[in-house]
Amino acid sequence: MGPLRLGNFPLDNRRLIGALFLTPALLYIVLLVGFPFALSIAFGFSDVTVGNTDLSFVGFRNFLAVWENDIFRQVFETTIRFTLISQVFILIFANILAVIFTQEFTGKWFARFIFILPWATPVSLAMIGWLWMLDTKYSPIDYLLLQMGLLGRGGLLSDNRNLYWLAAPDLAQISVIFVQVWRMTPLATVILMAGLSSIPTDILDQAEVDGSRFMRTLLQIKLPLILPIMVIALLFSMITMFGDMTVVYVLTRGGPVDYTRVLGLYSFQVGIEGGNLAQGAAISLFAFPLLLAMAIFMLRTASRAEVR
Amino acid sequence: MSVVQISGLRKYFDAVHAVDGVDLDIDQGEFLVILGPSGCGKTTLMRMIAGLEKPTAGSIHIDGADVTELPPRKRGVSMVFQSYALYPHMSVYNNIAFPLKAQRREKKFDKATMRSKVESIAKLLEIDELLDRRPRQLSGGQRQRVAIARAMVTQPAVLLLDEPLSNLDAKLRANARDELKDFQRSSDITAVFVTHDQIEAMGLGDRIVVMEKGKIQQIGSPQRIYDDPANEFVATFLGSPSMNILRAEGYRFGFRPEHFLPKTLSDNPENSVSFHYFVKRVEYLGSDRLVYGYVGGHENELTLAKVPSNVRVSLDIEGEYEFAVHYDDIKYFDEASGERIEARVAGAAW
Repeated sequence: MGPLRLGNFPLDNRRLIGALFLTPALLYIVLLVGFPFALSIAFGFSDVTVGNTDLSFVGFRNFLAVWENDIFRQVFETTIRFTLISQVFILIFANILAVIFTQEFTGKWFARFIFILPWATPVSLAMIGWLWMLDTKYSPIDYLLLQMGLLGRGGLLSDNRNLYWLAAPDLAQISVIFVQVWRMTPLATVILMAGLSSIPTDILDQAEVDGSRFMRTLLQIKLPLILPIMVIALLFSMITMFGDMTVVYVLTRGGPVDYTRVLGLYSFQVGIEGGNLAQGAAISLFAFPLLLAMAIFMLRTASRAEVR
Repeated sequence: MSVVQISGLRKYFDAVHAVDGVDLDIDQGEFLVILGPSGCGKTTLMRMIAGLEKPTAGSIHIDGADVTELPPRKRGVSMVFQSYALYPHMSVYNNIAFPLKAQRREKKFDKATMRSKVESIAKLLEIDELLDRRPRQLSGGQRQRVAIARAMVTQPAVLLLDEPLSNLDAKLRANARDELKDFQRSSDITAVFVTHDQIEAMGLGDRIVVMEKGKIQQIGSPQRIYDDPANEFVATFLGSPSMNILRAEGYRFGFRPEHFLPKTLSDNPENSVSFHYFVKRVEYLGSDRLVYGYVGGHENELTLAKVPSNVRVSLDIEGEYEFAVHYDDIKYFDEASGERIEARVAGAAW
């Protein structure tokens, strides 16, 4: 009798099973990422519109036209500003919450569950909720402020009965950033929690025996050790937010005027609503080199900060 | 004078009695080894001394002060973990300086003092060339020294060591053991060393505490523990291969394989007990022959003999020989409790 022979059953074949497991991921990438991406590049260099779907090559004409457009420049600047400001808050909140949720306390399970909801809720649904919360006339927030005497005649915040959360230029921007932070913080927190709980308990015990207290352990041990994971969390939420259009589409449609118009929304408005597919594609493609550079930079930072 | 006094210490994790009533005094400058199989409570006991675990009952005094309720930083203890637990993102210098920085406010010393403390301990442990390196750039032995330096830099009253040699390969380990003992003796630090390795325990300990099921089984010098075990657990836990245990009427008795030798070798046969020994198998181990067999009247109890290779008696499989054990080398145990008893209490009739 020779050694036990394996490989007669089809699933014992390593190549076959490898291909089998890879196929769904490959299909997903090719069909839902690769194909649209290639199509948008093709569109960007053509003169395709909703009315005329013939693709004829026009070189960089669309990109030049977009770049010389003042609205586009403002949109681009707004997108970057919103993204950067919200990331700062997301990082701060996510770190605080991750530290809280990795401590032991009663009701932790329930608190975690409640807290993950903003991220688990479908965006459009959540945004309709916020649309009501921030309603120009019937906002519950305004109502509470009114009851507290902060709004209305002689009120500390305004003499008006409303703050116009989505209609006043400054407040609309703040509202959009706030809602983005609300929506993205849970994911970043979950990633940071995974990082925190991956720190070996020996290291934390050692710090305690060495005489380190809470803040020193947090700032000098925990945070440096989860830095690579923090960078990944940041990258995730930055990319998601940079390309997002749902939040502003539901809340403000880019208004008032252009104050909350971001790249994703503008691309949609020009390309789909305006019917100029070629220019819409060109607009969205401007995000690509920026995001690519950012991703490369951050992943390199993460791998350099990683301690083996 | 005792540095650490432990009395009535218990730690229950729900139904598990990890440490179940421990009383122990640790003397100034001694090297105390806590030895036991995994799960015997030795690590929990050490973590309670460190302050990482809160006792269910009992008290711990260090340098005369009751520290039972105090956090680790107020106890004057330091610890070396099995994994060394070096902070991977810090240089060796910052690793060693970390406890000083953490306690700077209480101890009140300046940066220059700190630097000189780190440098002098690094020099003592011969790692002063490595201060700028990161832990991942160090060998296992170097990491261990860094961990010891970090534990020693605050001049603690007690140094706790949790199996710090088990991550080193076998060759390095003997060397590291020797160095650790030298270092402990020259610095006169009180060391508590937890291990499951009896060779480490015998080699390092001034005294050994043998633990099992959360209780101390015996405390004594390595020789005392080996030659004069308090009960059957201690007798069989120490020694490799372990002591032969045979059943008799109303008691059990045991003798170590190395004390069980051909009768012709015995220097005073009149003080020995003879057995008919039936040999089943012989393993040649280089320095010894390990003989598997059984003695007359105990056919179902495997009995081993460890015969030095320089003893030229031929031992054949299926052979029958006269073997003997010196009276003093036979230990008697109570049938029910396993505690040691005197030969006359056992009523052994040879």
